[in-house]
Amino acid sequence: MLIEVLIVGVMVGAIYSLVTIGYSMVYGILKLMNFAHGDVYIFGALLCYTLLAQFHLNAILAVVLAAVAGGLLASLVEFIAYRRLRAAQHRMISMITALGAAYVIQNSSELKWGNQVQSFPSLFPADHIVIMGSQVSVTHIFTLIIAVVVIVAFNLFLKYHKAGKAILCVSEDIPTSSLMGIPINKTISVVYFLGGVFGVLGGVLYSASYNAISISMGFRGTIIAFTAAVIGGIGSMGGALIGGMILGLSENLISVYVSSSYKDPITFLILIGILLIRPTGILGRTEAGKV
Amino acid sequence: MEKDAGSLIQNNSSKSAVVRRILITGICAAAILGLPLVVQNTYYIGIANFMIIYTILCMGLNLILGYTGLLSLGHAAFYGIGGYVTAILMTRHGFSFLPALLISGILAMIFGMILGIPTRKVRGDYFCLLTIAFGEIFRLVAQAWIPFTGGAMGIVAIPIPKIFNWVIRSEVDFYYLGLILVGFTWLSLTLLIGSRFGRAFVAIREDDLAASVMGINTPMYKILAFSIGSFYAGLAGSYLAVYQTTITPSSFRLEESCLMIIMVIVGGMGGMLAPISGVIIMTLATEAFRSLAEYRMLIIGVIMVVVLLFRPQGLFGTAAFKD
Amino acid sequence: MALLETRQLLKHFGGIMAVNDISLTIGEGEIVGMIGPNGSGKSTFVNLLTGLYTPDKGQTLFRGQDITGMQTHRITSIGISRTFQNLRVFQNVSVLTNILIGRHCQIDNPLWKIFLRPLAARKTEKEGREKAINFLKLANLADRMDEMAKNLPYGEQRLLEICRALASEPALLLLDEPCAGMNPVEMDTLAEFVRKIKAAGTTVFIIEHNMRFIMSVAERIIVLNMGKKFMEGNPKEIQADSGVQRIYLGEEEENPC
Repeated sequence: MLIEVLIVGVMVGAIYSLVTIGYSMVYGILKLMNFAHGDVYIFGALLCYTLLAQFHLNAILAVVLAAVAGGLLASLVEFIAYRRLRAAQHRMISMITALGAAYVIQNSSELKWGNQVQSFPSLFPADHIVIMGSQVSVTHIFTLIIAVVVIVAFNLFLKYHKAGKAILCVSEDIPTSSLMGIPINKTISVVYFLGGVFGVLGGVLYSASYNAISISMGFRGTIIAFTAAVIGGIGSMGGALIGGMILGLSENLISVYVSSSYKDPITFLILIGILLIRPTGILGRTEAGKV
Repeated sequence: MEKDAGSLIQNNSSKSAVVRRILITGICAAAILGLPLVVQNTYYIGIANFMIIYTILCMGLNLILGYTGLLSLGHAAFYGIGGYVTAILMTRHGFSFLPALLISGILAMIFGMILGIPTRKVRGDYFCLLTIAFGEIFRLVAQAWIPFTGGAMGIVAIPIPKIFNWVIRSEVDFYYLGLILVGFTWLSLTLLIGSRFGRAFVAIREDDLAASVMGINTPMYKILAFSIGSFYAGLAGSYLAVYQTTITPSSFRLEESCLMIIMVIVGGMGGMLAPISGVIIMTLATEAFRSLAEYRMLIIGVIMVVVLLFRPQGLFGTAAFKD
Repeated sequence: MALLETRQLLKHFGGIMAVNDISLTIGEGEIVGMIGPNGSGKSTFVNLLTGLYTPDKGQTLFRGQDITGMQTHRITSIGISRTFQNLRVFQNVSVLTNILIGRHCQIDNPLWKIFLRPLAARKTEKEGREKAINFLKLANLADRMDEMAKNLPYGEQRLLEICRALASEPALLLLDEPCAGMNPVEMDTLAEFVRKIKAAGTTVFIIEHNMRFIMSVAERIIVLNMGKKFMEGNPKEIQADSGVQRIYLGEEEENPC
């Protein structure tokens, strides 16, 4: 029992990490709470659902198409709603336009797909394997592997690829990066694109492993990404991983061993507790202001 | 509109300007008071009543967000606390409306104080998430704690409120009750904003550190801003409870807190009256497109993006904000 | 008894000794200057005095009362006020409101009075405003009191910041590099203003980079180098001292401005 809960927890945690990476990366660069993140990824996941269920596309092709569409949508949101406001204004303003963009995407998706829970087709065989005496679904194992592979690949990309390094530079300091000849707008578009792609991947994996998808997962997704990012420390890749894992594990442990209706309140309590002890998250940098 | 928080009583404007101001205020007051005489359709009075609720909420939130510069996404929780307290006191404990209203406000204030305490350590977006967590915990507990709150079905059959001999039953009655509450909110906030307390809030918004060097106990004042802002939310919640006669957790979702913030920002933060324009615009936009209900959020979203892209200080706002 | 006394104040950030064992006294009615090259610990010292940093060792006494580790707002309320090196006026409020915020501790209107006796509160408020305007007159800013602070020219914003600090009616005023970014004319206005402040009975402690200014204003000067007190004396002694010249010339080679 415990082993199974832990494995599901780790899998959900890996998915959350995937979703959080995109969120945290955007935050790291623009210090912007991207409220549209969850709605972008649920749009992508719903698109994937349509491609699979209605057009019976090959699974890999469908996922890739949906991920690219989600990525493009994310960059489009940045281009329309955030870019103009980046220069001088208060951050709260772009947060509200983010919220506005979220509403627009959410509403448009709802017009197309409705707000009912739909059954998402399985991507993996419905087999089970036995690990240490517990039955574990193959779907969970595959999901976990995919999430981990994507996260590792992305970290390698950040470390070794030119565009990845550019992203790291821009997240440190936009003006200096610009002086170094890094194309800022292009890099930011790439960040949003990747954030959207990872979000959609996470959304698809999540929907596939629970065989369910609904529009309401969008806003919840934003909150999860925000929470995981903050628990770990916003803007830090390692933090996104830790935060996602903590959320995934605690959610599953609480709903199995305490009560599923108190799952979310307790998760939020954990968050508050962590913030009270470590006001900038577990791996967060404390900013020492110079007087 | 006001120039800034401290200038409320320092308008050394000429006499004719004063006369014009009094005239405009008088006309507005007469129009507001006489509205139910002109508009007979109770549907429209109902819309006005919701505007009243949001006006009270947004004026309180504006103290926290616009004046003190703290971003709180948990305001719906205080609104909800007020609603549930009134509902429980009036249905189960036989309280009459006025004491229930007062206790609702005070309890919301106490919770506001509690939420204000972490501002000392937890800052910026981390604090913002903390307020989200607070609001969600409130809503989820209200949903799960069935014996106390009635769960998702909420509390129904809240008695008709009575103030002395005035039985508040019709939409018009509630309209005037709401106006009294708005008047109280406006008056008390004007007194507060025009005082050294109001200036202290603005100082904290402008520069937390410089404020402390001015002798302002910044942690205490942040808690104060939260407590007072939440008090009004409690009043609004109490009004909602008796107005709707039911109270359910779905009225206090995160989206509701977001909507309040949008109203304050679209109207323009910082001034006393600017948020009201946000309330009117957002409520009318929602109502005007009622026939296009399925496009509602889409339209609101577009308004938000367009308004702020072209007027980032809000429609009637003056202050540009720093972090 | 000295107005302010520090005893072996010490503050380090990691391995860097920002302020190392500084003891000094400031007497009532003096204008004391503190000079030293960049990074010699001057600003850190002021931050220690005003409670923005807590010292690792040592004591600060104000009128004989131990104020080490006291919260910033409390320190202001007992009579120490300051300005900042990097101008920190409240940008989006009027000039007069800036002063009124500075008078926060002097306008005695408790919360209950504002709601329960609004007329009495308003009267106190009015008196406060009149006093605030007097402070603006000191710096010739009274005719611009309704202007947003950010619309004032730089030099006047500096004066405004000093006025704001004065408005709390401190016994001791700390000025952290008040000349930074000023032109010579503005500097002369400032020097005049500082003398006026002293004449009105406020003790002034100035941290400054600009030798010409500090020599013309201060009665006694303390030289810091590498976080330590290097020497102390009147302007003539300081100017004549070869060690001080070396500290400054050594710096000037690297930093000609």
